[in-house]
Amino acid sequence: MNKSKGAIITAKPGVKKTIIELLEKTLDNGIFDAVVLPMKVPAGDSFSYVLFKDKSLLKDAFILPPIMSVQGAKAVTSITRFGKGNLKIAAIMRPCETRAAIELSKLGQTNLENMTLISIDCPGVLPTSDFLRDHEKSMKLFEDAAKNLDDKIMRPVCQICDKSSMVSGDIHIGTLGVKKDTFFIISNSQKGDDIVDKLGIDLKDNIDSWQSKVKNISEEKKKKRKKAHKDLKLEIGGLDNLLETFGQCINCHNCMRVCPVCYCRLCYFDSDKVKHPAEDYLSRTEIKGSIRFLPDTTLFQMGRMMHMSLSCVSCGSCEDACPVSIPVAQIFSMIADETQGLFDYVSGRRLDEPIPLVAYKEEELHEMEDAND
Amino acid sequence: MTKALKINKNTEQGVIELLKYLLENNKVKGVFTLKKINKNGDIAYSIITDPNELKDAVPFYPLMPANAGKLLSRFTLKGSTKKPVIAVIKPCELRSFVELIKREQGSLENLFIISSTCGGVYPVKMSVNGALEKNLSEYWDTLKKGGISSDLRSACKGCEEFIPYNADMTVDLIGKNDVDKQCIIFFNTKKGVELIKDMKGEFLEKELDNKKLDKVREKRHIEKKNLFNELETKMNGMDGLIEIFGKCIGCHGCSKVCPICYCKLCGFESSDFEYKPSNYETDFRKRGGIRVPPRTLFYHLGRLDHISISCVACGSCEDVCPVDIPISVIFKKIGESVQKLFDYIPGKNIEEDIPLITFKEEEFAEVEQ
Repeated sequence: MNKSKGAIITAKPGVKKTIIELLEKTLDNGIFDAVVLPMKVPAGDSFSYVLFKDKSLLKDAFILPPIMSVQGAKAVTSITRFGKGNLKIAAIMRPCETRAAIELSKLGQTNLENMTLISIDCPGVLPTSDFLRDHEKSMKLFEDAAKNLDDKIMRPVCQICDKSSMVSGDIHIGTLGVKKDTFFIISNSQKGDDIVDKLGIDLKDNIDSWQSKVKNISEEKKKKRKKAHKDLKLEIGGLDNLLETFGQCINCHNCMRVCPVCYCRLCYFDSDKVKHPAEDYLSRTEIKGSIRFLPDTTLFQMGRMMHMSLSCVSCGSCEDACPVSIPVAQIFSMIADETQGLFDYVSGRRLDEPIPLVAYKEEELHEMEDAND
Repeated sequence: MTKALKINKNTEQGVIELLKYLLENNKVKGVFTLKKINKNGDIAYSIITDPNELKDAVPFYPLMPANAGKLLSRFTLKGSTKKPVIAVIKPCELRSFVELIKREQGSLENLFIISSTCGGVYPVKMSVNGALEKNLSEYWDTLKKGGISSDLRSACKGCEEFIPYNADMTVDLIGKNDVDKQCIIFFNTKKGVELIKDMKGEFLEKELDNKKLDKVREKRHIEKKNLFNELETKMNGMDGLIEIFGKCIGCHGCSKVCPICYCKLCGFESSDFEYKPSNYETDFRKRGGIRVPPRTLFYHLGRLDHISISCVACGSCEDVCPVDIPISVIFKKIGESVQKLFDYIPGKNIEEDIPLITFKEEEFAEVEQ
């Protein structure tokens, strides 16, 4: 992230309201034809992404809802998987959602040409099940925690997220390190520059205070993250521990279904490739005396890790959807840090940074070969 | 009268003894049952070929980590098992397996089925935090009295189909006050009787105590009515449905674990069903706004349409729902009314065709009007 300039926006009526007013202006001026952002569902007990153009609906917009019911990248790919379409759309999401959208774009699953990704400093989200227990009370708890930058009640992976202010989309809204009733607008692309310009906003202000606050938080979280991963590795490292950890898995594959990066229409692990004649299962059983059925529960988890860890954004959706409370997201975030670190890659950091698997070099990672000798 | 085997042991141990006999004497090649799979005590369905492994079997543990009907379908999907295998499963699991067989998704050939009168299972969530383990003694006490344990799956609390159909052997569990001292296994089929013809043991001529079981059914019926009544206050027309399903996160976990939802690729996940940019633009013009990803409620209504005739109300769907939508009660309620229209009980009679494939030109004229 190399941004040194941004714009300080005065937000007398409140940050949220001012952002809404700006969005209203973009719709009025035809900068965007539509916006996609979270709104409360009719029963008020959850939130969903809604694509709309009607300005009057903006008053119900919920930027930074207390939960991530659906990962925003899933909303983005739903709209643009089959092409850019004719609508110019602004998508307002959390940084890990923007990053997942960027990964999906690199994987050919979304066309971002007409889509403007707008991210905002993220205080984390509550585990959905905690929220559902008492959504009104949770709402208040979340708001207080967000205000005080207190992450104790957030998803476990949010508590160790060092990228909660990562700027990777087109425009970022910075709410950290600001004076009262102001926020920063930071542009991160030509598209972003043009839009900000059309709004008559001049990107001339110094954003040092935001940068240093973000740096502090990020470094502190990085330490926490390292420690958490180290502890987790002790607990789950090695095949025996791994088998124990996934012992409770019931093969529902909810983790894969809600994962923004797992985009395959038919997962290999649900395909005919994993369906065998009864005799094969019986002869496997004879070798070991007994096998769990369905078999290969841990293989599924490891296969998924292999397939997506380079693009994992540690959003925590998988863990949230796990009916048996396996710390899937924490495990995946640990593996992702290691695999991405190997290639000096950060998922969703930049649109023009190729995914390591497509940037194969003949002369690399020899040390890994040696390790297996 | 039905032939029955009496073993003077705790019922679960009695059944394990029978399984051991069958494995050791090569009457079957494998046993399919719930089993402790690791030192944490996690329970999963397993296939066992080594009789020593039976020591960890827990055939009547009140948990359904996956619907065994779905698992047996996977086991026999590529053709029936050539070697005999015996499976201990719950009545609704057997019913769903029968429904899958009707859909050519499995085979009963060379499979022997032990089932039991069923006291219900706890939500999977309770197996994780130790709550289930704590409830076990209460579960068995309640079962002995023919009562309904308090924390069971909703679908189980209101289940009136707790006596298995089509099982080769039925184990007497509910309302049997000496369930921990004496095991009674009924042999319902020729195939079942044939399997144990060389076995030594105390054989009787006996029947399940239907009077006792009728009383259990009455209790379950009241429980079911309560569940349906509670649902009815919420599920009121389109608005009510939107209220209930509004929090759905679209994981489709309910279809993934549903034993009846056997499609490899669900229509609602197919390319045909995905919104193209033009769909969004059209909806946009018409409605002004649209939820993304779209068709949340449509998915559930579609699934109801597809599976309600065969829904066995096992409750697996609700168990995996990350946002606690009372899906199993909704599906049970709709399922029962659809099934009633055709006088059809899913999984009851393997010879009976699924109503959808027995279209009659002259039916439901009243619906048309």
